[in-house]
Amino acid sequence: MADVLRLPAAVAGQAEAVLTTWLVPEGGVLAPRDVIATVETAKASFDVEAESAGVLLRQLVREGDEVTAGTPLAVTGAPGETAEDAAAVLGGPVPVPSRIFASPIARRLAREMDLELAAITGTGPNGRIRRRDVETAAEQRAARPAPAPAATAAPAAEPPAPAAETAAPAAEPSSAVASAAAVRDVPHSRLRRAIAARLTESKQTTPHFYLRGTADAERLWRLKERLNTSGPVKITLNDLVIKAVAHAHTRVPEVNVIWTADAIRHFADVDLSVAIATGEGLVTPVIRSADRLSVSTIAAFVRDQSERARTGRLRQQDLEGGVATVTNLGMYGTEEFGAIINPPQSAILAVGAVRQQPVAHEGKVRVRRVMTVTLSVDHRPIDGVTAARWMRAFTALLEDPEQILA
Amino acid sequence: MSEHRTLAAPAPWVQLIVTDDDWDAAEPGLLLTMFSQLALIRAFEENVLELAGAGLINGPAHSSIGQEGGAVGSVLALTDADTVNGSHRGHHQFLAKALHHVTPDGIDPAQPYPEAVKALLLRSLAEICGLDRGFSHGRGGSMHLQWREAGAIGTNAIVGGGVPLAAGSAWAHRQAGSDAVAVTYFGDGAANIGSTLETLNLAAAWKLPLCFFIENNMYAVSTTVSEATGEPRLSARGPGFGIPSWRVDGMNPLAVHLAMGEALAHMRAGRGPAVIEAEVYRYFHQNGPLPGSAFRYRTREEELQWRERDPLLMIGAQLVRRKLLDSEQIDTASQRAGQLMSEIDDVLLEASPGASDKRRIKAAEWPDPKFADVGIRGDLGEFAGAPLADRDSFAGSLEPVKFIDSVAAVMARRMETDDRIVVMGEDVHRLNGGTNGATRGLKDRFPTRVLGTPISENGFCGLAGGVALDGRFRPVVELMYADFMWVAADQLFNQIGKARHMFGGGDSVPLVLRSKVALGTGYGSQHSMDPAGVFATSPGWRIAAPSTPFDYVGLMNSALRCQDPVVVLEHVDLYASTGEGPADDLDYCIPVGKAAVRRHGAALTVISYLAMTNMELAALEHLPEVDAEVIDLRWLDRASIDWETIGESVRKTNNVLIAEQGARGTSYGGWLADEIQRRYFDWLDQPIGRVTGGEASPSISRVLERAAIAGTDEAAAVMSAMVSGNHG
Repeated sequence: MADVLRLPAAVAGQAEAVLTTWLVPEGGVLAPRDVIATVETAKASFDVEAESAGVLLRQLVREGDEVTAGTPLAVTGAPGETAEDAAAVLGGPVPVPSRIFASPIARRLAREMDLELAAITGTGPNGRIRRRDVETAAEQRAARPAPAPAATAAPAAEPPAPAAETAAPAAEPSSAVASAAAVRDVPHSRLRRAIAARLTESKQTTPHFYLRGTADAERLWRLKERLNTSGPVKITLNDLVIKAVAHAHTRVPEVNVIWTADAIRHFADVDLSVAIATGEGLVTPVIRSADRLSVSTIAAFVRDQSERARTGRLRQQDLEGGVATVTNLGMYGTEEFGAIINPPQSAILAVGAVRQQPVAHEGKVRVRRVMTVTLSVDHRPIDGVTAARWMRAFTALLEDPEQILA
Repeated sequence: MSEHRTLAAPAPWVQLIVTDDDWDAAEPGLLLTMFSQLALIRAFEENVLELAGAGLINGPAHSSIGQEGGAVGSVLALTDADTVNGSHRGHHQFLAKALHHVTPDGIDPAQPYPEAVKALLLRSLAEICGLDRGFSHGRGGSMHLQWREAGAIGTNAIVGGGVPLAAGSAWAHRQAGSDAVAVTYFGDGAANIGSTLETLNLAAAWKLPLCFFIENNMYAVSTTVSEATGEPRLSARGPGFGIPSWRVDGMNPLAVHLAMGEALAHMRAGRGPAVIEAEVYRYFHQNGPLPGSAFRYRTREEELQWRERDPLLMIGAQLVRRKLLDSEQIDTASQRAGQLMSEIDDVLLEASPGASDKRRIKAAEWPDPKFADVGIRGDLGEFAGAPLADRDSFAGSLEPVKFIDSVAAVMARRMETDDRIVVMGEDVHRLNGGTNGATRGLKDRFPTRVLGTPISENGFCGLAGGVALDGRFRPVVELMYADFMWVAADQLFNQIGKARHMFGGGDSVPLVLRSKVALGTGYGSQHSMDPAGVFATSPGWRIAAPSTPFDYVGLMNSALRCQDPVVVLEHVDLYASTGEGPADDLDYCIPVGKAAVRRHGAALTVISYLAMTNMELAALEHLPEVDAEVIDLRWLDRASIDWETIGESVRKTNNVLIAEQGARGTSYGGWLADEIQRRYFDWLDQPIGRVTGGEASPSISRVLERAAIAGTDEAAAVMSAMVSGNHG
């Protein structure tokens, strides 16, 4: 007898969840405790298991659909039962899956942003999904209570649960040609999906340009050493860089802006994000009014946020806003790199390692510490000359670092 | 009782009959060469029929056997500077002129034929078989034989279609100050068609050195000449147009030669055109190796009577009579001609594998299939070193200019710097610059280069096409209303548009057609069309569509430099407008294929041209919610579309509207919408929008006319709907 399989409350609680992956196709044979699908909430991912042996007759939701406790997920049946039996359970003929009407560009964008068309409401003629509908869906996803960072922070979101790491189903054509041992598909976490969609969107819709600056970091280095011999809080070079960025934004206020649909928005305070790596990906908590905070306050805040990110205690409000981000790979020895702007911010500063190198100075070659930074800028609100003025102010601050503390 | 006075046409109409004295007086070299040409052409034509019977010729092979006397007799009176064209049945005319070119001193039938003769016949047969070594790489075949160096400017598959083109050649001869003439060969069928009659009139009016050579073979396919016309002596047409006319036995090459000599004296003296009617007979049916009697429209007896008067036999008998050749030499010469054709066949053909009695074309002789679309237009190499400029790079100063003044000004400037430019059209020489003032002042400054034409669009468009193909002059033709293109359609689309490609891709056709677009002027159904869609879907043409005085000057300069036919669309609404134009520089060219973005926007790409561009811009003034980008195409043809500008805009806005004013049926945007959806499918957010007029042609009644045409209101409505998402 066919039966409807619902999402167990025990699995999802009252949380909003998404069915991320079907692991058994329609018509697939089930043994008890086989994993049929995975469901992800903001905090964790769960397996939905078969209750008894049989056949999966019909899937009732698509991958990516929102589900809650009690949502009918599938119709299962005894071996030998067919789709008609599923129809009997559902109380009607098997509906032909209706074609989704979407414009070509909407299909293309949804694919690139990893959005399911089925989950998007079309507002065009005959319910056609248009570009604006995909963009609205993307915005809604981005605005959803910090799904991505929360997932990183949640205790359950340790390195992906073994259950989620599966060899690709044999039905996948791409893996059918490779041996199962050679490839391993790790399903996307929601954080990974969020990062992918956001950065893809940024690269496609934000016209980036890039400025590279190199500063003599000798005095900066010595300042950091000096501060750390006396102060109670350990100050990193990055803390000094963040403060210098805040200062530079104060000196060149045309950079303290973001692009919106109808206007360039100017800010009174300089809110900066700092990129923090976690096991699952990147989070970018915001330092409010960094221009008015002391370096030691910034240093303490960054340490606190890093700790919260690692332990999953970041709050959504910690992640919202900001005009620019500071990202630093110097501690890994990267000399310089370019970064992708975190929308809707207007810039991101990529900071490379402080390294010693020969420098011509007053006609002589001397070995000095230098630091190379790359500023990625949104060209819509900020022109090249403005960004160059900012870079000049910023490198001047690094080279005369007492001003940073002022 | 009324009194009747008999009137007579002033132009003479005579029958020329050869006497024995004429035969005795004929130069031996002339008679020997006549015989050689006749023997060679006969052998060639018999070979063609044989290949056609074996299925080795694609399409028709219109045999000229029986009609060679007229062509050979007349061509041998011409010089190398004279030009000829012909009809679908034109092998003999082409070969006679080409043989005369390669053997200017004649051909001695007692000697083996020269290599140059063999090379010519090989190349001609290759063309007829559709092979790469042909004059047009096999594109033209039997009905489009052209060898410009020999003065054979191209035979024609449209009955009468080549006649106006020959008038262009004749006009160019006279304008260049030469005494050369053009001869246009056509049959009795073509004597009744408009192209021919219009050209008879035009050539007489302008006293062109053009010989209308009618090969009256008495049958248009199976319709007899007396069924088709009330005066079967077709040379009777000439005096009606004021043209001296000769009637002559076309089976007798010497009679034709003497008539042509008299006609040439008349033409070379600058006294205008001539008509020669040669009575000839095609031994076979219209097409293929069967006699006409097999199709029951004539008798075997009639055919035999004509065959007894065969020109080869006639010349052979005279050669024997005058002891210039003996009968054995005559037979040998004919056999040698047949042998030559076998050798030529062996170059092109090989035995079919498995069937030793069957032959096939050697694979290496075919043209490369990739050649199919090559050379529809030129490569624009003529723009190397051109003074290119556009609005953003223009170094001169700009000022408000009346559109119509820039039209006359740029033409005056070009005529001043380029003697080759000649302007023609109805009333262009009077009314202070034609009906709109577009040619104001030109007639006074350039009296021999501004020509008011009779009302015969097909005739004068074709004449201009012939001038363009000649290459010594650059005609600018005005069509008073765009709808008249239908009247001139054969010349504009079958001849001028296709000529370059059809003859192998190498011929330039530097012709500018100024076509007025008179939408909304109250002239009704037959004067209100926008021709852009028809030109855009016809191969060969480039289309320029200026919407500002600045663009008019730059686009007209490019059109006049271009080696392709260019139609410059002139919207009558714009004539009276004032816009930004050059203060003094009238020499810059706007690059072919460069559109102009008139307004930047992010939500909708509006593609338009001519007056509709300005209507779109006006509509947008009142639609602050529509963030539209407006592209003024300026160049509309398939080869000159600015895909870079369109693509960039479509990728940005994802929404496209093509806006034009004219009727939907022949509208421009259809092909463009098709092309855009295939190139940019993944970038589109809704179906491509169209603004056009209705299906019907605009009417005279003001309200009906307005309702039939698209304008600012229609543009606004569709733009709003597309941006709000309620369209399509």
